[in-house]
Amino acid sequence: MNTKLISFKNVTVSFWQNDFGVHSIKDLMKHRKQPFSNKIILNDVTFDVERGACMAILGRNGSGKSTLLRTIAGLIKPIKGQITINGTFAPILAIGAGVELELSGYENINLLLSLYGRYKRNSNTIQDIIAFSELSHEQLSMPVKRYSSGMVARLAFSISIANDADILIIDEVLAVGDKGFQQKCMDKIFGIKAEGKTILFVSHFTEEVMKICNTALLLDKGNLIDSGTAEEICNKYMRLFP
Amino acid sequence: MQNITRIYALSKRNIILRYKNSFAGFLWGFLKPLLYLLIFIIVFSSQVSANNYVLYATSGLVFWFFFSNLTHQSVNSIINSNGIIKSINVPTIFFPLSEAISELFNLVLTLVVFLIAMHWFGLVYSPLLVFVIPAAILFAIFSFGLSLILCSLNVFFRDVGILWTTVQPAIFYLTPIAYNKEMITKNYPWVVYYNPIYYFIELARTILYQNQMPNLSLWGICFGIAGGMFLLGYVIFNGLKNQFISTI
Ligand SMILES: Nc1ncnc2c1ncn2[C@@H]1O[C@H](COP(=O)(O)OP(=O)(O)OP(=O)(O)O)[C@@H](O)[C@H]1O
Ligand SMILES: [Mg+2]
Repeated sequence: MNTKLISFKNVTVSFWQNDFGVHSIKDLMKHRKQPFSNKIILNDVTFDVERGACMAILGRNGSGKSTLLRTIAGLIKPIKGQITINGTFAPILAIGAGVELELSGYENINLLLSLYGRYKRNSNTIQDIIAFSELSHEQLSMPVKRYSSGMVARLAFSISIANDADILIIDEVLAVGDKGFQQKCMDKIFGIKAEGKTILFVSHFTEEVMKICNTALLLDKGNLIDSGTAEEICNKYMRLFP
Repeated sequence: MQNITRIYALSKRNIILRYKNSFAGFLWGFLKPLLYLLIFIIVFSSQVSANNYVLYATSGLVFWFFFSNLTHQSVNSIINSNGIIKSINVPTIFFPLSEAISELFNLVLTLVVFLIAMHWFGLVYSPLLVFVIPAAILFAIFSFGLSLILCSLNVFFRDVGILWTTVQPAIFYLTPIAYNKEMITKNYPWVVYYNPIYYFIELARTILYQNQMPNLSLWGICFGIAGGMFLLGYVIFNGLKNQFISTI
């Protein structure tokens, strides 16, 4: 079996960006220029992730971490380069990822599980999710828009780990949970890691990163400037902010 | 299989969202055409030479509202699902598609009520009524094709949604739904004959109102328009879909 779970080769991602604040046809008429220009977000990124690795992605705000995660998950198509993936994904776990605000907790559980492609779900899965989130029946029955941000994070995290995918992607989500839940998530992450699954982890807390991850990438302005063990990269990352 | 579950889940979400926090909920599907029908009876019934005006107008209205709701809901389908699009890898075409499916579901309900209620207004029950199904499917394909264009352009230019809400009533009054087409064709025949929606309304109405089999050329025209619109929509949507995530 191939041990390389994810392989990026010279991947470049660019977004269309409207430079003149063109948001309507009226603006377009006024400028009469190309309404969109290409903005490079990730530039020529090359790296591999081994099966079972636990990799952190570090970098300043706006350096392209979330974009890199979305590209790995196949949400963004690169304009150049090659991506090979040999596994399945849990959805990206960002704050409030994919949660529909108008729907209740229960409805969200059903919707998201179906969207992840879990069509053979049993009531056990749902029980596990509810138990892990520690949300009460009353809370799960009300629309998510009335949740606190920690409650949304609990719901999203619980749903997303119920999915036994090969790759877990976590984008700064643990920060909003309370102490108890953070601990619980950490335990769960270690559990998932012990099962030999792969974890991609974005966080600005270097202690967390060093506890969970073995390897790391450092991004700056869309360029991959370094990769190595978690400790090395964390130190380099700290030195970005003298 | 996986994808069928996904589309089903999204369609269900649409239906839940649409009627959440509304008192009459599903009834709105019927109340809207009913309200228009009342207005039409007051305004038009004396001017229009149809020997059964209620049936004539209702059969057109039911299908018009199917078209109008479907496109109206779809225009924002991509923008409104940005949370999901940014975190779960689901083919983006599922969002407008699920809108079309939930609207079809609505149409089926409306048609059942229509078939029962319109019996009192002279609707003749006959095996011919089955052909309403292919007629509705053709109209749905046409509407879905148009929605693909509207929703993908709307991601980049929000005017498209606003523009569509603005022109919709105009199209409604220019289509012979509440009145005979002769009222327009006398002076401006092109307004009717270049209007694709006219053909679909005519198709449904021939079956429901005249209780006749539409002739083959009408089926052919509808088939052609539906197929053409779907292809065009699909090509435009596919060309733009990779950049949705950067703009929503
Ligand atoms: N839709 C978009 N159009 C144009 N540029 C964008 C778009 N989304 C993000 N960017 C740019 O891409 C870059 C990377 O954004 P990204 O969200 O990946 O950053 P990040 O590393 O996750 O930052 P943070 O630590 O704040 O989460 C930023 O410079 C941002 O301005
Ligand atoms: Mg980010």
